[in-house]
Amino acid sequence: MAEGARDRVRFEEEALALADQVYSVARHLSGSKEEAEDLVQETFARAFRSWRSYTPGTNLRAWLMRIMTNLNIDRGRRKQRSPDTQPLEEGDYYLYNRLSDSISDENPQEDQVLRRLSQNDAVKALAQVPHDFRDVVVLVDLGDFSYQDAAQILDIPIGTVMSRLHRGRRILKQELADSVVESA
Amino acid sequence: MTLPIDDPCAKCEQMLQPFLDRELTQAERFEAERHLDGCAYCRKRYRFEEKLRMFVRMAAVEQMDPKLKVKLAALRTPL
Repeated sequence: MAEGARDRVRFEEEALALADQVYSVARHLSGSKEEAEDLVQETFARAFRSWRSYTPGTNLRAWLMRIMTNLNIDRGRRKQRSPDTQPLEEGDYYLYNRLSDSISDENPQEDQVLRRLSQNDAVKALAQVPHDFRDVVVLVDLGDFSYQDAAQILDIPIGTVMSRLHRGRRILKQELADSVVESA
Repeated sequence: MTLPIDDPCAKCEQMLQPFLDRELTQAERFEAERHLDGCAYCRKRYRFEEKLRMFVRMAAVEQMDPKLKVKLAALRTPL
């Protein structure tokens, strides 16, 4: 096998080994399973075509995510370009306070409070977070990327990563609080 | 009138995310820890937040369809 072909095969194998992680992020960047599957296929098709632009030894997972988030934006996914920056009324204790309010035990344990949320609530709440915030929450909190990686993947300043992350998490918690009230 | 920032619990609430992200300066972290040592109200909410993050992370994991894996492998350049 020629040198170049060997490098390519190695690249393809390393990339495919990350497919589950790429899919998991894609699933929460897009609105449905079908969209996520399309996005992952496009991502790998593009990655396999442009494998020469990847520098061996650098973070391949981040490289794939960058292709994926760019494709996702190119697909015209988002209508709202600049995220809404109105202050949120509720602070970071809001979800806990809302959930513990309706527990009869006056001094509930955190686990007891947390049990009021279902897995399904969490997935649905995440889907309600506006895209610009969700991208950052998904990369950092679910994908375990550092702020620095997330900034490079999304091509935004690190300060923007931090502010979107904080706000995105708060929106997520508000959505979670609403989901419990609606299902009650 | 008291500004919210004079309320130590409100201040602790504002430090929740950067605290868990290990983003606070050492001085800020000491301040938060000192408050948490004496405040069960905030301590509980901090512990809740930690567990919530874990919970969301676990809830969000979704296996991909094995058929997709086959499709991805088929995208490789033929030898």
